[in-house]
Amino acid sequence: MYSSIFSGALLGVNAGLVKVEADVTKGLPTLNMVGSLGSEVKESKERVWAALKNSGMEIPPMHITINLSPGDLHKEGTAYDLPIAVAMLESLEFLPQGCANQILFLGELGLNGEVKKARGVLPIVKMAAEQGISECVVPMENAKEGAVIPGIIVRGVDTIMNLIAYLSAEKSEKEAILPRVEVNTEELFEKMQKQSDLDFSEVNGQEIAKRAAEIAAAGFHNLLLVGPPGAGKSMIAKRIPGIMPPLSVQESLEVTSIASVAGTLGDRNLITARPFQSPHHTISPAALTGGGGIPKPGMITLSHRGVLFLDELTEFQRYSLEALRQPLEDHVVQISRTAGNYTYPADFMLVCAMNPCPCGFYPDRNKCRCSEPQMKRYMGKISGPILDRIDLCVELKAVKVDHLLKKGEEESSEQIRERVEKAREMQRKRFHGTRYRFNADIQAADMEAFCELGAEEQALMEQLYQSMGLSARTYHRILKVSRTIADLSGCNRIESSHILEAACYRPAQDYWI
Amino acid sequence: MEEEYYNQWLCSLVGMTNQAILRAVDSFGSAKAVYEASAEMLETVFTPFQKNVVMESKKRFSSPEILHRSYEQLQEKKIRFVSRFHPQFPKRLLEIPDIPMGLYYKGELPGEASLSVAIIGARECSAYGELVARELGQFLGKKGVSVISGMARGVDGISQRGALAAGGKSYGVLGSGVDVCYPQSNRSLYDQLESRGGLISAYPPGTKPLARNFPARNRIVSGLSDVVVVVEARAKSGTLITVDMALEQGKEVFVVPGRVTDGLSEGCNRLMKQGAGIVVSYEDFFEEICSLKRQTNPDRENLNEKLRKELRKLEQVPKEKLPDIPEELFEIYEKLDWMPKTLETIQGEMGTGITMTEVQVMLMRLCMYGVASQVSPGAFRRV
Repeated sequence: MYSSIFSGALLGVNAGLVKVEADVTKGLPTLNMVGSLGSEVKESKERVWAALKNSGMEIPPMHITINLSPGDLHKEGTAYDLPIAVAMLESLEFLPQGCANQILFLGELGLNGEVKKARGVLPIVKMAAEQGISECVVPMENAKEGAVIPGIIVRGVDTIMNLIAYLSAEKSEKEAILPRVEVNTEELFEKMQKQSDLDFSEVNGQEIAKRAAEIAAAGFHNLLLVGPPGAGKSMIAKRIPGIMPPLSVQESLEVTSIASVAGTLGDRNLITARPFQSPHHTISPAALTGGGGIPKPGMITLSHRGVLFLDELTEFQRYSLEALRQPLEDHVVQISRTAGNYTYPADFMLVCAMNPCPCGFYPDRNKCRCSEPQMKRYMGKISGPILDRIDLCVELKAVKVDHLLKKGEEESSEQIRERVEKAREMQRKRFHGTRYRFNADIQAADMEAFCELGAEEQALMEQLYQSMGLSARTYHRILKVSRTIADLSGCNRIESSHILEAACYRPAQDYWI
Repeated sequence: MEEEYYNQWLCSLVGMTNQAILRAVDSFGSAKAVYEASAEMLETVFTPFQKNVVMESKKRFSSPEILHRSYEQLQEKKIRFVSRFHPQFPKRLLEIPDIPMGLYYKGELPGEASLSVAIIGARECSAYGELVARELGQFLGKKGVSVISGMARGVDGISQRGALAAGGKSYGVLGSGVDVCYPQSNRSLYDQLESRGGLISAYPPGTKPLARNFPARNRIVSGLSDVVVVVEARAKSGTLITVDMALEQGKEVFVVPGRVTDGLSEGCNRLMKQGAGIVVSYEDFFEEICSLKRQTNPDRENLNEKLRKELRKLEQVPKEKLPDIPEELFEIYEKLDWMPKTLETIQGEMGTGITMTEVQVMLMRLCMYGVASQVSPGAFRRV
């Protein structure tokens, strides 16, 4: 007998449909598995065999062939156990023919027949819904994760016995055996949105850094915080996701899919807070961009739609930082392996922090004793191309005692977010129908179209350009940032004060030693 | 002893000048007599305002017992008082013009027998000034010389820290009450001075660090020392006021030479040209002051007169010409210095009502005019 069952394979953060076929004939009793299988998938037959036996099923001595198609797609992971078991049972006529039509299965089996958690349930269920499959049976633990996808029935299963009972039952009894898992996405969204416990009102002083964070969040500019240890760089960075507009449902599904694939979802069903990733500076390039035989998402993908925070920027390996260049430009990362090309989303805001010099006190020459060569070496650790992608640079000072004692006068994240959202709205209108979303995206060629200047402002820019010896790149960055500052103050025209403020945040290497 | 209660009371009157107090004590014979004088009698020596201050205070301290109590309360706060009539009043101060009526102090007063040197200089000193101040403080501390200074930011505080670090004694003369630490950044120094030297002030406890108190404070700094060393001073600077007082008091003035191009050394170099003592090395300086001690140099008066003339001239040095920038930028330009200042500091000095963004915009305009430069993302200096 022949049977065919649906399952799914992860392709990056997306998924593809996999058909698990089983064929049973008389012959030498074996269980053969084919279809470009990874070692975990090959081991699957032992698990399935034992699980079925321990669930009370006697597998007759037949020649069984399992094929996972498409055959040229390399398959990994343990989630094929369940579809293989179902395919076998159906072809062995333990299950009624056609009982598993239009159902997608996912799940790992234990030798005792229990169904264990799987990775990447969300993107696979999403793919199933798009392919028009009507139902997904996934491990009980992942059921809620899959159920956030609308338009498809998701059921959770805990043992293979229950699944057999469900598949063999009469239509009317099915619902009672494996009830449909439902999640009210919108309610969940509202409930989880109010859970951020980091607020800007907890940051005392550091007015300029907060302002820069606001501008960065409004225009999605990359930000560099420079300051001595303990000035509050990490504190501010951690609060930046909280002043960005909340994730839309679409974005939330993207972020959740990534976490599901990376296996970092935990017991959450849906991620509604913007991601914030802060990798240690010893991170390898592969861990940053994503890697492995079948690449797993790296830090930059995990911070998609959120903030990637690199603390102690100068301590990062040069190769790790260089690996960020292409993703910062394209907002996706492409990883090529022999098994294929993988594209992961990587649309993140880069926030970096570093000391101003090896001792941390520059430019306070009363304390800083670093020599010029020392400082050059220190700054030289960061490659120019990375600094080139940072639009705003701001310096923090050690917090003064009176700032620490002042309470309750600081703006809350919500107040800041309101302004940011207004600026985002202006950008949405401006870029409607173009390829851009944020001011930070504007390319040099389109600068004139989107950052139009009056005669006076034009003259000012020219004067700035000459008196400060700006590079063309810095010139454009100042323009982009002043566009965002103008948006924040609700101005359609960029004014002189916007340009001058932007120039004050111009990136470091232009004047630093 | 009892007389000290009355002396302390006179010193604690707020709004009194030292001269007025001395005049009153002279004409009535003692502080006690001032306390007991009638309003009409007081009018003969005090202005109407000062008379009112005295009368008000007399109402508060209506009996000698209450006066005693307030004196004892000071002791409980470990604040001691010594009037100019007291045998423990520093002998050096009795030799200066305008002797303060009394001193409040915490810790102790400088020893009469040991050599004492005032190290003074710019608040915004350079790294060089900082280095010399610290090393000189350490050197003198090790040699058992008392280091006297004003506990200000920059040279003052650094030299005092140096002396304490070397295990020496140092005395901070304050322009505020002895129980008020100013500037706050010198809090740790303030605490150390109390236990390993002294904090001295002519102003009653609780007095705020008012600008007008400082010249008189400087008079005590120089008065308490045998020798005054200037580490760094601009042509026009508060440090030179102290130098002037030291010269007037007949003290030997030494300067630390600096580079010709360095504005922070201009005051020192100009005094050096007129014959002020030169700190060539710390050892050499120490030998010189040892031989100077307590011996009157007949030429000293002439030299000091010459140096004071130079100071007058320095005062006449025209104010730096303002660069060609729009008028509205003058104020912020004035706030800038040759040493980098942070945006926060500049905003703080500009006073209230001006936003950080406005400060940034003005500073960037100065940069554009080429009169300022942004040395790091958050710090600016003149060019």
